[in-house]
Amino acid sequence: MNIDHHESFERMIDESLAGAISAEREQSLREHLDTCPPCQEYLSAGNRVIAGLGGFSFEVDPTLNARVLASLRRRAHPDRRRWTLVSVAAVVLTIGGSFVDLQFGDLIASAFDIQHMQVRQGLLTFWIVPSLCGLLLFPLLPWLSKAGTRREERTL
Amino acid sequence: MESDTQQIALGLRQGDVVVLEALVEQYQYRLVRYLIYLLGRREGVDDLVQETWLRVLKRGSSYDGQSRFEPWLFRVARNIVVDAMRKRRMFSLDSNDDYGVRRALTSDEPSPFTLAARTEDADRLARSLQTLEPVYREVLVLRFQEDFSLQEISAIVGAPVSTVASRIYRGLATLRPQLEGETA
Repeated sequence: MNIDHHESFERMIDESLAGAISAEREQSLREHLDTCPPCQEYLSAGNRVIAGLGGFSFEVDPTLNARVLASLRRRAHPDRRRWTLVSVAAVVLTIGGSFVDLQFGDLIASAFDIQHMQVRQGLLTFWIVPSLCGLLLFPLLPWLSKAGTRREERTL
Repeated sequence: MESDTQQIALGLRQGDVVVLEALVEQYQYRLVRYLIYLLGRREGVDDLVQETWLRVLKRGSSYDGQSRFEPWLFRVARNIVVDAMRKRRMFSLDSNDDYGVRRALTSDEPSPFTLAARTEDADRLARSLQTLEPVYREVLVLRFQEDFSLQEISAIVGAPVSTVASRIYRGLATLRPQLEGETA
């Protein structure tokens, strides 16, 4: 048997091991292998390499999973926590503004020599209404943020 | 009824931590093994694993559930490695002069493959694996340990199927002499 012919069968053995051989060539290879001890040895060595690759067992740090999961939990909903805090702050500010008006409105009016109604208008304009707007707007931000993220991913 | 891959895709779209936890439990060892084969070293692998899962969380909605999850996960991991190499100017996966090879030739420390060898044949293969270029090690683990098809490997490594097949042949050719002529 000439060397070129033999090499072509070795190539077919590699293709067969890699799963890159056609059914027709596989059949031809099987027939050849029945009568060719060197090719049988070549195939056997290939199979031993593949089996040998299964003989490794890498150690995994037992704390790795816990560390990964903790960091995933931290990052999973960072926005939700942030928006909740901002919404709570807006509620506190709104109630606080109303409380200042009711409890200290007269005091502030006399201190600045203005009418109580003017104090109330000032508090409404610069404190209570902006806080209310924040309260209504912030719950919508997670959805707006998510929509922005989706748009960004589509462009990746 | 939804298939497993569609359930995974839905869970990733929603950033469902329970789904992610199950995936971490299921794929952690395989991810670690793949990264060790890719890098040829153990250090830094845990950080890359962690970054991989964080990217899965962040970009999970790009997995559509139409194909198997594993090749998508391994592609994410590979991209993380490539990004890390670019940032740290480490080495190229295609390079002969990679960090792992240089280290293997100059260091007395046992390679991760030597440390992980549990059979005689694996022990014989360990040194050759350490000096084999990463692109060849990579396809060997993906084909023969992960059992991915050539098409799936092609999608993971971003190379044509014919290139993947050639890398497998060359990887086998490099390792075969270590076991040839030995009685099993």
